[in-house]
Amino acid sequence: MSADNNVIISVKDLKKYYNGGEVKALDGVTTDIKKGEVVVVIGPSGSGKSTFLRSLNLLERPTGGSITFEGRDIMAPSTDINKLRQKMGMVFQHFNLFPHLTILRNMTIAPMKLNGLSKEEAEKKALALLERVGLADRAGAYPSQLSGGQKQRIAIVRALAMDPEVMLFDEPTSALDPEMVGEVLEVMKHLAEAGMTMVCVTHEMGFAREVGTRVIFMDCGKIIEENTPEQIFTNPQNDRLKSFLEKVL
Amino acid sequence: MSNSTSVKQAGKNSNSAKIIKVLIIAGICAVIVFAAYALLFMPLGNPPAWIASVRQAFFASAFWIDFENNFITDDRYMYIVKGLGVTFEVTFFAVLLGIVLGVIVALVRSSYDTLKEELKGGFGKAVLYFFYKLCGIYLTVIRGTPVVVQLMIIYFVIFASSNNKILVAVLAFGINSGAYVAEIIRGGIMSVDKGQFEAGRSLGFGYVRTMAFIIVPQAFKTVLPALANEFIVLIKETSVSGYVGLQELTKGGDIIRSRTYSAFMPLIAVAIIYLVIVMFFSWLVSLLERRLKNSER
Repeated sequence: MSADNNVIISVKDLKKYYNGGEVKALDGVTTDIKKGEVVVVIGPSGSGKSTFLRSLNLLERPTGGSITFEGRDIMAPSTDINKLRQKMGMVFQHFNLFPHLTILRNMTIAPMKLNGLSKEEAEKKALALLERVGLADRAGAYPSQLSGGQKQRIAIVRALAMDPEVMLFDEPTSALDPEMVGEVLEVMKHLAEAGMTMVCVTHEMGFAREVGTRVIFMDCGKIIEENTPEQIFTNPQNDRLKSFLEKVL
Repeated sequence: MSNSTSVKQAGKNSNSAKIIKVLIIAGICAVIVFAAYALLFMPLGNPPAWIASVRQAFFASAFWIDFENNFITDDRYMYIVKGLGVTFEVTFFAVLLGIVLGVIVALVRSSYDTLKEELKGGFGKAVLYFFYKLCGIYLTVIRGTPVVVQLMIIYFVIFASSNNKILVAVLAFGINSGAYVAEIIRGGIMSVDKGQFEAGRSLGFGYVRTMAFIIVPQAFKTVLPALANEFIVLIKETSVSGYVGLQELTKGGDIIRSRTYSAFMPLIAVAIIYLVIVMFFSWLVSLLERRLKNSER
């Protein structure tokens, strides 16, 4: 298992301290993420799960430890982090669509400027992706004209337009009205079924159980328990996990 | 698709309604001016009695005598016309200089704030830190001293050997305006949600391209009113150029006053000209703002 060359992201002893070690957001996190896995990270708020996710594409600069992506140390000075981020799509809690651009332009700007796609190629690809999430008719709209659920679906396909190897989801449904959560989870589920490697920080336990291939429970900046969803939800070992599950289920 | 075009259409329609309204007002004003001109000055072989008496009363009035003395005699209106040209020239180039300086300073200062974590030490950070501090000194000094003093220092100290007053005024007002523009733009950049920056970076854009494609276009919209205000202030501020003997609009009016010993006409005329320019400029900005709003809400 350890020499598995299917490992796409390898995290070793990751640390993130604030105020010179006073606050330990991440306190030695070690895990491997393999191709095709859907890793769901759960835990109470302030447990470091978002910091962990945001460290994977260096939106947060770790204080210590190492992250390798496809065998390359992403914190090495010689690594071009911008090239690397193109392979890691990210979806945010608050969508972060570009409000000054149309939906189509939101989706084509990065492929055109970074991958050198022509306008026609990029738009064709974007429209195909929009078709996939049932929003092709909104291509010319601006983000402010969409509902939260629609925005998040657009945010997902905007990231997909860059053909990423991994998709990172940072609480993608936490800012949504309850009735819109389903449509976003549906898109994520289809994505998982299509074989995308995914790391999701979420509070949707149903999604974790149904779609996840592995669940990581974090607390106080550490991984407390990681296992298959079935084991985590039906046979939790750690007390903190037990009390957490009692509260959220 | 149809939704957004209809919104755009609505925006354009209301803008053209505004333009038409102003054109109608301008047209009415033109008609009144032309009618007054025809009534008073148009050579008529044998004018009707009532026109002749109106003309007689007008040309004998104190208003006309004062007016003629201040603007017609010796072609004194040319002081106003030439002064206006100089005011426009100085303002135009000072605005350009102010924008260039302001954008550079704003980018240096906000880049340092965002990048100081990413650039862990090294040469790049040292250079950026140097320029960051330099810009900080520039802002403190320029915003901490009166523009008249800056103008005089540039004219009497720095450019003591040159007599190009327009260049001196452009430099003084441009450098001065740059400091205010920088803070306006920096405020705009900081007002854009942090998530926008992260979204740009997470797609793979570098710092510069994230700024260029995502942050600055959004910041521009928020700062437009403040920026327009800064330029309106700048137009009016050029009126202190008289301190270094530059004959712009205000100085032109003042020269007439010193020739005729009559202050009312030339100074009120100068004030009205400034007012019209400022009103026209504010109106143009409101049109632009409305256009930019279409994609937002």
